[in-house]
Amino acid sequence: MDILNRWAHPLAVEPRPERTESGDDLSARFKRADALNFQLIVESIPALVAVLTPTGQVEALNQPVLDYTGKSFEELTGWANTDVVHPDDMAPTIQSLRKAMESGDAYELESRHRRADGVYRWFHVRGFPLKDTDGRILRWCFLLTDIDDRKRAEAQLAGEKRLLEMVASGCALTDVLTALCKFVEDTSADCHCGVYLIDWSGPKFRIGAVPSLPSTFNDPCEGLTVSLDVGPCGVAALTKTQVIVEDFESDPLFQSCAIRPLSLAHGFRSQWSTPIFARDGRVMGTFAIFQTNPASPTQVQQDLIAQVTHIASIAIERALSEAALKRSEAFLAEAQHLSRIGSFAWRVATNEITWSEELYRIFEFDPHVRITLELTGTRIHPEDLTLFHDLIERATSSASDFQYEHRLLMPDHSIKYLHGIAHGTRNEDGELEFIGAVQDVTNRRLSEEALGKARAELAHVTRVMSLGALTASIAHEVNQPLSGIITNANTCLRMLAANPPNIDGARETARRTIRDGDRAAAVITRLRSLFSKKDTTIESVDLNEATREVIALSLNELQRNRVTLRSEFADNLPPVAGDRVQLQQVILNLIRNASDAMSGVDDRSRELLIRTELDGGGQVRVSVQDAGVGFDPQVMDRLFDSFFTTKNDGMGIGLSVSRSIIASHQGRLWATPNEGPGATFSFSIPFARDV
Amino acid sequence: MLMPGPTNSRSKCCRCEQKVFMTRKRSLVSVVDDDESVRESLPDLLREFGFEVRAFSSAEEFLTSDCVDQTKCLILDIGLPGMTGPELQQELKNRRQEMPIIFITAQRDETICSRVLEQGATACLFKPFSDTALSDAVNAALE
Repeated sequence: MDILNRWAHPLAVEPRPERTESGDDLSARFKRADALNFQLIVESIPALVAVLTPTGQVEALNQPVLDYTGKSFEELTGWANTDVVHPDDMAPTIQSLRKAMESGDAYELESRHRRADGVYRWFHVRGFPLKDTDGRILRWCFLLTDIDDRKRAEAQLAGEKRLLEMVASGCALTDVLTALCKFVEDTSADCHCGVYLIDWSGPKFRIGAVPSLPSTFNDPCEGLTVSLDVGPCGVAALTKTQVIVEDFESDPLFQSCAIRPLSLAHGFRSQWSTPIFARDGRVMGTFAIFQTNPASPTQVQQDLIAQVTHIASIAIERALSEAALKRSEAFLAEAQHLSRIGSFAWRVATNEITWSEELYRIFEFDPHVRITLELTGTRIHPEDLTLFHDLIERATSSASDFQYEHRLLMPDHSIKYLHGIAHGTRNEDGELEFIGAVQDVTNRRLSEEALGKARAELAHVTRVMSLGALTASIAHEVNQPLSGIITNANTCLRMLAANPPNIDGARETARRTIRDGDRAAAVITRLRSLFSKKDTTIESVDLNEATREVIALSLNELQRNRVTLRSEFADNLPPVAGDRVQLQQVILNLIRNASDAMSGVDDRSRELLIRTELDGGGQVRVSVQDAGVGFDPQVMDRLFDSFFTTKNDGMGIGLSVSRSIIASHQGRLWATPNEGPGATFSFSIPFARDV
Repeated sequence: MLMPGPTNSRSKCCRCEQKVFMTRKRSLVSVVDDDESVRESLPDLLREFGFEVRAFSSAEEFLTSDCVDQTKCLILDIGLPGMTGPELQQELKNRRQEMPIIFITAQRDETICSRVLEQGATACLFKPFSDTALSDAVNAALE
């Protein structure tokens, strides 16, 4: 029998020695029957089966082995020296076999085996020992299962996964498309691939990736017009269908197309062009496979083409939208750069801070550093740090929008002025997040400061000028009668000294002297009434409210002077009767004085405290406390004199005017030095009893 | 104290000063000031010095009087209503009726003062001024 012949060494022919010695014929007969059964079973298995002796000699091979390999049993006994196992897999195969024989354990292996036509296919190899009842190994049995389709699918899947990963990780489009072409070329032997992108404004083809095609082929393709005459890719793009040219030589449709001579000159007989669609159905490009032999795609190849064109479509679309996004980001960055506005996001819970490019530029930080509050703090001007920390604390505790102005001290000791606005929101997890914009207002602030300085100088000059004019007018008004007084007195003396004395004349001039003296006094009275002239409106005034209004008016100036303002308002403060505007002028004056007094303070925070409270004796008290230079207790009495000032550039009129306003409200204005640095100016006025 | 000496030429127009003219030849000093107390007090003092005095409340009043030619010295307030002192100075120059002028002013303005001195004024006195300052100025003017 053929079958038996192929079993060159039937299993039962080599009985175990001890059994033979025992002479148990019945047992041997049974064993022979077992062996025959085994042999029949093995032959009927559709898989490839090999049986080896415990020492590794090929003992038996079933028919499928001989059919698959196309080799004879004799050829295969020396398999280790042939190419039946793929050269790359031979060493692991031998090693695994040797190891198994030493240990006596079954094992599994995946390796490529050569088919009769020379194609290597993947097999799952399972080797297991056949043992007798005592556990001794009689034979090694090998079962080879063809897993090539699965393996191929796996490889294709892995390839696709790798490509998708490239797309997802933001690899450059050219890299993705190049990998894609290589993948197809590796998977499907003997072919060249190309991805051609379409610029519809031409419309023109642009080469996306052509990793294995020569430049003599590629260069003429670049920039070809997308038309029906250009070749398979043009037709595919315009008709939105796959175009299969099995053989350029014989295909009647493409006899006169532009690409034909080029393809044939490079030995490409067949070309398969598949359109690459965007999600909205537009054609973004074509995927082409060139082969030297006339061919049409198999189903497997069609599946592969469908898969890669899909990936190519994702990659191209993503690249296009990324380019669009980058363009709009570039626009935004440019706008931010032009307006010197940076933006930020700050997730409070995690302290995660994101800055725009421009904000990095404003702070002059390397764009790669991780931004933290601490790092930001290193740039804040030391004098503004307290303000900055206050701001952070207030923002995080109140979760409200905030605005701020502060300075940066740059490493080169230059100063930048920033104006920021932030909006607090809660994200989907309920976490507080601030999104804000920061503008570099240095130029504006510097010009503002220059303007402010000019204005202040002008104000000072005006004040001095008006004071000068006032003095001149006072002098003129007073000098006229004085002149009369002196002239008359002189005349009087002369008349008395004459011989004889002119008594009547002297009496007359003396009388005129008195009259002129009265006139001078009248001038002074008139001037005084002119100065104290006022149109007061007495009404019921809520000092809390009045103070709040003043604070609102002064906040900007205080912030510019880097003064931190705190207020403590007494509840249920009774209203006072008075002139609201005048009282507000006093409060404003006290706040300005306090702010001015702190302008030179750099070693502590410039804190200003405004307090309203009920004072004893039916009075309301407003006090303004600063941390400024304070004053010498010895000069306390003179503080409120007109023209007394501790300020270098002050006129000192404010406090005396303030005091007279408060006095006209039956109130009192006074100053006390603080325990710590600075002074407190307070006034108290009686509250309205019948308003 | 320097006293003015008698003038050689008698003024034609001093009909009004008959009494003075008859007793003694005295120089006429005119005072122009809008302030009444000055117009009252200054002539008395000048008369004590021994001058003939006429007082006017405005430049216009002085110009229309018959004393312009006779005035040997003009005491002129700078800040007059209407034609000011310096304007009167210019007007007299235009009419070729120049005379020594002593400006007086209650406004201590050095620039105006130096300007009128440049224009030929003898002196510029700031009110209030002393009797000696006045007599020094008048005597200088009449020299």
